[in-house]
Amino acid sequence: MIASAAARLGRRFRNRAGKAGRLVVLALALGLIGGAYATFAPTGQADETSSSIAVREGQKLYNESCISCHGQNAQGVQDRGPSLIGVGSASVEFQVSTGRMPLARQEAQGQRKYPAFNDEQTDQLAAYIQSIGGGPEIPEGDLRGDEALGGELFRVNCSSCHAFSGNGGALSSGKYAPSLKPSTDRHIYAAMLTGPQNMPVFGDNQLTPEEKKAIIAYVQSQKTDADPGGWGIGRTGPVPEMVVIFMVGIVVCLFGALWIAGKS
Amino acid sequence: MSEHGSGSAVDFDPTDPKHSQFDLVREGARRDGVEIVHYQPRFAVAGTKREKRIERTIAFLLVLSGLSALAFIVVYVAWPYEYEQGYHADKLYTPLLGFTMGVALLALGAAVIVWVKKLMPEEVAVQDRHDNNPNLDERALTAATMMNMVDETGIKRRPLLKGALAIGAAPLGLMAVVPLGALIKDPHGEDQPLWTTGFSEGVRLVRDDGTPIRPGEVSAGGLETVFPGIPHGTGLQYADSPTLLIHLREEDAAEFKPRKGFEDAHYGNYFAFSKICTHAGCPASLYEQQTNRLLCPCHQSQFDVKDSCRPIFGPATRRLPQLPITVDEEGYFVAKSDFKEAVGPAFWERP
Repeated sequence: MIASAAARLGRRFRNRAGKAGRLVVLALALGLIGGAYATFAPTGQADETSSSIAVREGQKLYNESCISCHGQNAQGVQDRGPSLIGVGSASVEFQVSTGRMPLARQEAQGQRKYPAFNDEQTDQLAAYIQSIGGGPEIPEGDLRGDEALGGELFRVNCSSCHAFSGNGGALSSGKYAPSLKPSTDRHIYAAMLTGPQNMPVFGDNQLTPEEKKAIIAYVQSQKTDADPGGWGIGRTGPVPEMVVIFMVGIVVCLFGALWIAGKS
Repeated sequence: MSEHGSGSAVDFDPTDPKHSQFDLVREGARRDGVEIVHYQPRFAVAGTKREKRIERTIAFLLVLSGLSALAFIVVYVAWPYEYEQGYHADKLYTPLLGFTMGVALLALGAAVIVWVKKLMPEEVAVQDRHDNNPNLDERALTAATMMNMVDETGIKRRPLLKGALAIGAAPLGLMAVVPLGALIKDPHGEDQPLWTTGFSEGVRLVRDDGTPIRPGEVSAGGLETVFPGIPHGTGLQYADSPTLLIHLREEDAAEFKPRKGFEDAHYGNYFAFSKICTHAGCPASLYEQQTNRLLCPCHQSQFDVKDSCRPIFGPATRRLPQLPITVDEEGYFVAKSDFKEAVGPAFWERP
């Protein structure tokens, strides 16, 4: 409709004027079309805000580093990587900033290592994945809550795998629950929210954000506590202590006895 | 004169003042069947440099022992021992006690050993073994003496006393045993404690704090430990009742293989299995959400949730019992019935 009106106008002007007229017609037509486009076009697509830049940068990073296992549209690749649609920025931040992703090799489970991306790149990747399918996000602000409640909740929900001291433990076939020693508040929050690797998911209906913050406070305060005697031996209770007693204590006693006998 | 030992009669008068102290010692040992064949002081000349050095070593060890024991007392009394979070002196309280006490005992023991080995005279003594030639005379005499004691009581001729003794003594033995028996609760009692748990029809599944649970409050790939919603249901009285409410993901739930008779024991993608391992009763609650396995931390039993918690590794031989669940009119999870089999480890009727 717009185009045909412009054409009619153009014919009229061409009949009347020369080159100058044609330029005016062109300008008018362009103005009309542009105006019409601005009027009818859907808004909000071309906002040049920082988040959209982050998404674009994130997509670049994704295409360089993640696409081989998670697929072109984050739909996942059979036997290589799961779909990332709907995992949310929380999951990305956890996996990337702990260095678990990009994976070094396919194995029982991703290892914590030195992260391949800096914080800014991690945020960009997270923004990109968040833009694809949404999903859980880590709230901003302080993530510490009521320590005592956190201890109770940790005992019920976490200690079976991570041990009550948060030192982790073995699972099946080479998988393991990692130690919480190097974990930051945001890591722990993201892990509870998204259930990375083989960790069960603890959604906000199961552990409210307040309860999650309580658990984080408990875990982090555990770390600030010294081990009685200065050596925790992994803080996993009587088993390693027994090992030390046998490997060190009994051996010392044995050789002491041999030495005394040898001096006779 | 004693008949013991191999000491033959030698003319030896202990009261004779000619004898030295050691002569008396040697004779005493000889009369007990011990022959001192070699006896010699460690140092031929008293007061040599080496002897002095050994004396100083022993003295040092004894003083060290005393100082350590004193240090133990000081630490015990004066060191801060009340728990304080963080890196504080109280963390060293027990190690210091152990260290000081250890050094004290170790130094004392070392001093004694050095003293015996380095200062006291060398001695070799021989004592004949006499375990293969029993003294039959002695044996006969002792046996007669003991039998005579029995005969003196006349117990064989006095059945009344015999019976009275039995009646008097038997309850004494029973008195020690019966209280132990009272610790056993009859497992075949009225409520069949081994076969039943706190769950029954219409009992809500509640959390540790007693709050009921709606579908949707456990995320897909998540689990929650639930208890029967009855008085004391979360306490030790119902220690056999803890149950795992597992929310399988859509694709995993589609592959779930129900057991015969449990086709509608689950509600949507929510499944409830006993938390008590069927091997030894530990809490089998290590849940791998990607492989859908439940692990038991005690002996590494593994249960495949998608296969109705069939044991796939470790010592457990029976599945974790499944709790039939549904949702009541208020939308909270309830049990349809109790577990259909006994939970937990084996017992007499359920190997």
